[in-house]
Amino acid sequence: MEISRDAYRAIEDIVGPEFITDDPAFLDSYAFEWLAELVRPNRSHYMPRPWAVVMPASTAEVQGVTRVCNKYGIKIKPISTGWYHWAAPMKDNDPTIQLDLRRMNRILDIDEKNRFAIVEPYVICAQLQAEVMKLGLNINIIGAGSSTSIVASACAYFGGGPNSYSMGNNSDNLLGQEWVTPAGEIIRTGSLSSGCGWFCSEGPGPSVRGITRGVLGSRGGLGTYTKCAIKLNHWPGQKVLEPKGPPPGYRLEIPENFRVYTIGAPDWDAWVNCYHAIYDNGIGYVFHRQFNLAGADLAAALWLTYIDPKKTLNDVETASKDPAIQKVAEEGRISFQLILAGNSMESIKLQDKVLDAILAQTGCYKVARFCEPDMAEFTNMYMQRLGHKHCNFIWVGGYMGSWMQAGTPDYVRNYIPTAIKGFERDQKSHLLVECGGDATMGCGSTIGGGGYFGLEQFVSYDPNDNDSIDACIKHMEDAIKDAISVGVPAGKEALYLQIGWSDERIWDALSKIPQQFILNFQTKIKDAFDPNYLGDRNYQWIPPGWGQKADAK
Amino acid sequence: MGMNSKKEELMGIVGQGNVSDDPACLNGYAQDQSFALPIKPWFVARPQTAEQVQELVKWANATATPLVPVSSGAPHFNGDTVPSATEAVIVDLSGMNKILKIDHRNKIVIVEPGVTYAELQPALEKAGLRITQPLLPRANKSVIASLLERQPTMIPRLNYSLPEPLRVCGVVWGSGEYSFTGEGGMGPRSLEDQWKIGLAQVNQQGPLATDLVRLVTGAQGTMGIVVWASIKCELLPAARKCFVVKAAQLEELVDFCYRLERLRIGDEVMILNRRQLRAVIGKTNGCGCGCGGADWTVVIGLAGRALYPQEKVDVQEHELQALVKEFGLQALDAPPEVAASLLAVSGETYWKVASKGACQEIFFLTTLDKAPRFVKTVEQVAARFEYPASDIGIYIQPQHHGVSQHVEFSLPYNPADKREVEKVKAIYTAASEELVAQGAYFSRPYGAWADLVYSRDATSSRVLRTVKQIVDPNQILNPGKLCF
Repeated sequence: MEISRDAYRAIEDIVGPEFITDDPAFLDSYAFEWLAELVRPNRSHYMPRPWAVVMPASTAEVQGVTRVCNKYGIKIKPISTGWYHWAAPMKDNDPTIQLDLRRMNRILDIDEKNRFAIVEPYVICAQLQAEVMKLGLNINIIGAGSSTSIVASACAYFGGGPNSYSMGNNSDNLLGQEWVTPAGEIIRTGSLSSGCGWFCSEGPGPSVRGITRGVLGSRGGLGTYTKCAIKLNHWPGQKVLEPKGPPPGYRLEIPENFRVYTIGAPDWDAWVNCYHAIYDNGIGYVFHRQFNLAGADLAAALWLTYIDPKKTLNDVETASKDPAIQKVAEEGRISFQLILAGNSMESIKLQDKVLDAILAQTGCYKVARFCEPDMAEFTNMYMQRLGHKHCNFIWVGGYMGSWMQAGTPDYVRNYIPTAIKGFERDQKSHLLVECGGDATMGCGSTIGGGGYFGLEQFVSYDPNDNDSIDACIKHMEDAIKDAISVGVPAGKEALYLQIGWSDERIWDALSKIPQQFILNFQTKIKDAFDPNYLGDRNYQWIPPGWGQKADAK
Repeated sequence: MGMNSKKEELMGIVGQGNVSDDPACLNGYAQDQSFALPIKPWFVARPQTAEQVQELVKWANATATPLVPVSSGAPHFNGDTVPSATEAVIVDLSGMNKILKIDHRNKIVIVEPGVTYAELQPALEKAGLRITQPLLPRANKSVIASLLERQPTMIPRLNYSLPEPLRVCGVVWGSGEYSFTGEGGMGPRSLEDQWKIGLAQVNQQGPLATDLVRLVTGAQGTMGIVVWASIKCELLPAARKCFVVKAAQLEELVDFCYRLERLRIGDEVMILNRRQLRAVIGKTNGCGCGCGGADWTVVIGLAGRALYPQEKVDVQEHELQALVKEFGLQALDAPPEVAASLLAVSGETYWKVASKGACQEIFFLTTLDKAPRFVKTVEQVAARFEYPASDIGIYIQPQHHGVSQHVEFSLPYNPADKREVEKVKAIYTAASEELVAQGAYFSRPYGAWADLVYSRDATSSRVLRTVKQIVDPNQILNPGKLCF
């Protein structure tokens, strides 16, 4: 892994000596990644250590560093806020620079009238939201929460969140973007490329953004995104999200033109029908199934304990045995959160009336305890800012999301019983958190206007207990088989496991995708924009002819 | 290969009756209403299936024959269907006109490229659905062609991205390969097989790390031939009401429209000048368009669907009335013919050519605050050539939740009057150059605009040529267009 000191010196000359390091202590802090233990030898919490960490301050510096990497054959892995183990370098003995973009943290412009903001990659959702809310505007915060980079979700990774139903997925909210390719070229897209401003992501002619955006983006595998413009949406609420009450269950007052509900369903068919009716009636500002991440058996006990300032997590077990809380758990077993917002009082009253009619039609109902002011205000804060992502890890410090195959509500409904049974089965090892078979959560729709989403099964495991890690891996392998048994492709668990696979194993898997056109296309794009193959396989590609090789085996 | 051999091979692919070299037929494709250089194609081939399209493209690769895909009926306007290369074959997709599926539950319709607005909307209406459409499209306009060309649609609140409501496509690429875009790209390459496993072609994103659909939109048929597409529908409104808000100056409407679009009040929202409003309702002479003498009109269509539709319209009406008051404006009931135009397709004579027989358009994207300046630019250029400002139709269509605006100028002229033709041609050239220089974004660079746009945007040209080389390595699809 010894690289010429010349390369180090050349990069140092660009960013300055204080913004490059190969100190192992620093490098390991980048290698330490959530989910690493599921794919690394010896259940290590560490992904491969980067060769150096570099912190550029501008697009020009990113370009300069990229050019040096091309000269010396060093791989490049950009990271802004990071999420999952694939934010780290992929391979041992494959010298990789971790390009940490945290110095590029400016909101460059907020165009209030035309409703877009221009941001650098380390601007996080909470930061931008706080600024635009002062102007009565809001952003779509992705499911991974308010501490995530806007540029990452808009340009390079999944862009869906609780607001995507009303505001659109961030891939659709993306306007102009600036991209430093692995070859070191700066490419700007849409109206920006024509020198006409940041307001449009399409054209001129076909849209260049089409080669890298996709469903999950290139995840740092094909260059570095250094700026983007994001569409802003109307916010009819407070100018400042003033937290109320003691920690950790902060609450947010509910303005008179808002309603905050947790809706329960008697069965999955009613749940699906309710989703369709919400889409058809166009009501709702936030639409998400959030609280069930704690598991259907324990969610009520957890959240009602969480918001009680006199209690701690140690009280959850007792609470879970309380008949009153057990009743809430049953009411909320199949549930989701829905926040209505009106431009006027008339509007919010009508939305309420429509929702009541939908509930009457579908047999769904409001989960009464979760709609009481304390819990509703907590829900409001949780969902409007999505600042509670630490709760994802609340049970034992680690979780892995399986399933989440996306499709129509009926498509999801088809696999949910299998996902539940499978998790129930795997919990019998007593090595995973036993929270009930259903810990599925996800957006009401990941695309604007509704109609498309997946549910992610939150599997909580202890990342410091090898047996628990093994149980989680077993669950992942089981979930893949379970998915195939109901005719759906493997879910997120496969994506996680693949990080630990060899290239050859990944190519074998990719070669089984029924339509190979896309892989051939991406391989040629890779050749064109990353001729030295400095990006990693998060932008998928396959050697020419590999499919035939796999078929011959 | 000679013409006769080519004809025989074409007939072998699409059938004897589906190949034409009749001079009258070929002349119909040799030019359109634009100022594109007329070039006569050698043949018109009319495939009936996706398989035939794929065979046709493979044959074109083998014989180095340019193909020009055409789905809509005449008149054509932008030069994109006029061959830029000699010896071309027009691929007339109008015979592929099946509505493959109406999926009411998921609000998706899947159509072939020959399905027109005049055919689709009544079929959807029977199912209680509709799609958001462009303003008064030609009855024979292909729905797929319109969406692929990113023609603006009228309901900005439903426009989550510019390609909306287009979702998933089946594409025969220039290489002859056939694949699906979006979520369809990861499943089996058969719609029936995808339906069997519950896929509904809803999501335009993908497959993998690409959005292939975005490479065929705005492409003028240069990347691939779309053989089917899924389109997002909406429930047919059960209650509607239409309003107009008028002003003497466009500037007076800008802040109001910003607020209206931000609050997403209403379905259809657009701004028309007096000339264009008259044209929309078919009044070629006099006024009588409900503009009340005002030069500018915002048309706002309110709609209610599903539960309590009338109450939904009432609430929106109250919000609209409060809003206009805030801006010192008035919202008046729209004349019935204006309201009707929001749901209709054009009559037999396309409304844009009704007054003088021909019409040259200039259109681009911008933000609303810049629109008045661009209007002045075009009026000044027209004045230089003594073309009356009152003859210029202007249409501003908010897109993408109102973040971008399609601004369109219509310059009607008499095609039999050579002086008038030359005058409009000169205005088109001069105004386009000035608008580009001032920052108007020609996102759909047809004809002469392509050079204007790509000569200023070397990066887009280079990247698009790279993509073109991948999907159409022999450059057989509509060569000479865009930057290819």
